[in-house]
Amino acid sequence: MASRLFGEGAEARLYTASVFGRSIAVKSREPKAYRVMELDLRLRAQRTRSEARLMQRALSLGVRVPRLIALGRFSIYMERLDGRLLKDARITVRHATQIGRALARLHNGNVVHGDFTPANIMEFGKELYIIDFGLAESSGRLEDKAIDVLLMKKALSKDVYPAFARAYASDSREGKAVMGRLAEMEKRGRYQVRTLT
Amino acid sequence: MAVLGIESSAHTFGVGIAMDGNILSNEKEMYRIGKGGMIPNKVAEFHIDNAAGVIDRALEEASIALREIECIGYTKGPGMGPCLQVGELTAKMLAARLRVPIVPVNHGIGHIEIARHFAGQNDPVVLYVSGGNSQILKIDARPYRHYKVLGETMDIGIGNMFDTFARGIGLDPAWGSTVEKAAQNGGYVELPYTVKGMDFSFTGLLTQALRLSGSVGREDLCFSLREISFSMLCETTERALMLTDSSELCVCGGVAQSQRLREMLGLVAKEHGASFGFAPNEFNADNGGMIAFVAERMHRGNYHVPIERCGILQRYRIEEAVVFG
Repeated sequence: MASRLFGEGAEARLYTASVFGRSIAVKSREPKAYRVMELDLRLRAQRTRSEARLMQRALSLGVRVPRLIALGRFSIYMERLDGRLLKDARITVRHATQIGRALARLHNGNVVHGDFTPANIMEFGKELYIIDFGLAESSGRLEDKAIDVLLMKKALSKDVYPAFARAYASDSREGKAVMGRLAEMEKRGRYQVRTLT
Repeated sequence: MAVLGIESSAHTFGVGIAMDGNILSNEKEMYRIGKGGMIPNKVAEFHIDNAAGVIDRALEEASIALREIECIGYTKGPGMGPCLQVGELTAKMLAARLRVPIVPVNHGIGHIEIARHFAGQNDPVVLYVSGGNSQILKIDARPYRHYKVLGETMDIGIGNMFDTFARGIGLDPAWGSTVEKAAQNGGYVELPYTVKGMDFSFTGLLTQALRLSGSVGREDLCFSLREISFSMLCETTERALMLTDSSELCVCGGVAQSQRLREMLGLVAKEHGASFGFAPNEFNADNGGMIAFVAERMHRGNYHVPIERCGILQRYRIEEAVVFG
């Protein structure tokens, strides 16, 4: 299996590989030199397993994610999407609405993403795919869901955030409660939106 | 002509003197916490008793006469009210007596700017870690030059976590260094690890470590508490470094004195080809030199505040402070 590095996140490397003539993506969690070995192995194995599990769950909830092909101890082998990340695109109202809907579906199934920013949303064809479930969790807590909304709020411009919030609130079963919790968190100070502009 | 800076936000009463971007002196007295921790009024009394002496020492060390001081800076916040008030009052009296302008300084900006100065960096990702604060920041030019918080603790500061743990298992809470010492011969035990994006949380880790203190050895717990909490800081800092595509990293604040944390962050920086820097230890612990340093820059930028509007702000958010230089 020949492989080529094509992306590097804070905790994993992405390779493309060719298996039986099919181009796939391999997300591999590399060791971190700063961590003691026991913690390093624990985090890499735990996150790999959890990420694969939550990707499958997202798929079953009707959210577009890369399809899983195989699972190793520190590596996920999956379908390769050749799209562009939303962090490199101008985010439109249509995008924002789609993002809100997708997040609502995840949350309705008690999947929280944990790092829900435009860096982890890929536009491929006409569709948006949610990627990187590395920090995702299975959680029904309003606070966890509100953090997903908050991270996206911090990344979106004032022009498109309302479309995201509207779509999320109308499709999410607990939309009102989550938005209420978000408002509360912002008032609390620790979690106020940190952009001054 | 020189600028005198006063720091009194917590346990330390410090006075520094800065001139042309150099720190000529950095004198301090530190309140010793016993078993009871810091009682704000007691610490404030300690500061009152030490104020005049520390100011004299700072002037003498810098070979500067009081009449040569052209501006007074003091810590406006964040910090403990009664302690901040001692610094405020001292600064106001000096400024009025000398008829010089006064500038209120944000404590966190002091820590960051002095580290950036010693590191010789322009626009670093900053990890600011102390008793009450744990934040990842970077300069943002708009709407005014300030430090934007990229990530921070969702509950307590990392230093307070170490001290609370030390007290909980019957060690002296000597600014985290007790835990650091006990960690030296420890091994790894599993404890909660909590990061969310570029934010992190320490209370789950602290609670579990305290819960295990009856059944797991002290050295192992100290080692694991340190390794896990520092790894959380490194992971989120690394994410900030990548997200902002920065080539500079610096660490500041009391916990930046930890050799282990420096070693780990050095590895993070190296992995990304970034430079890594920090201030000498006397400037990582609370000190007046950093306040004088920042005050001088604010003074050169003509950021003077009329004496009747110079107050304290116990919860002075770092984004609210304008950064000069």
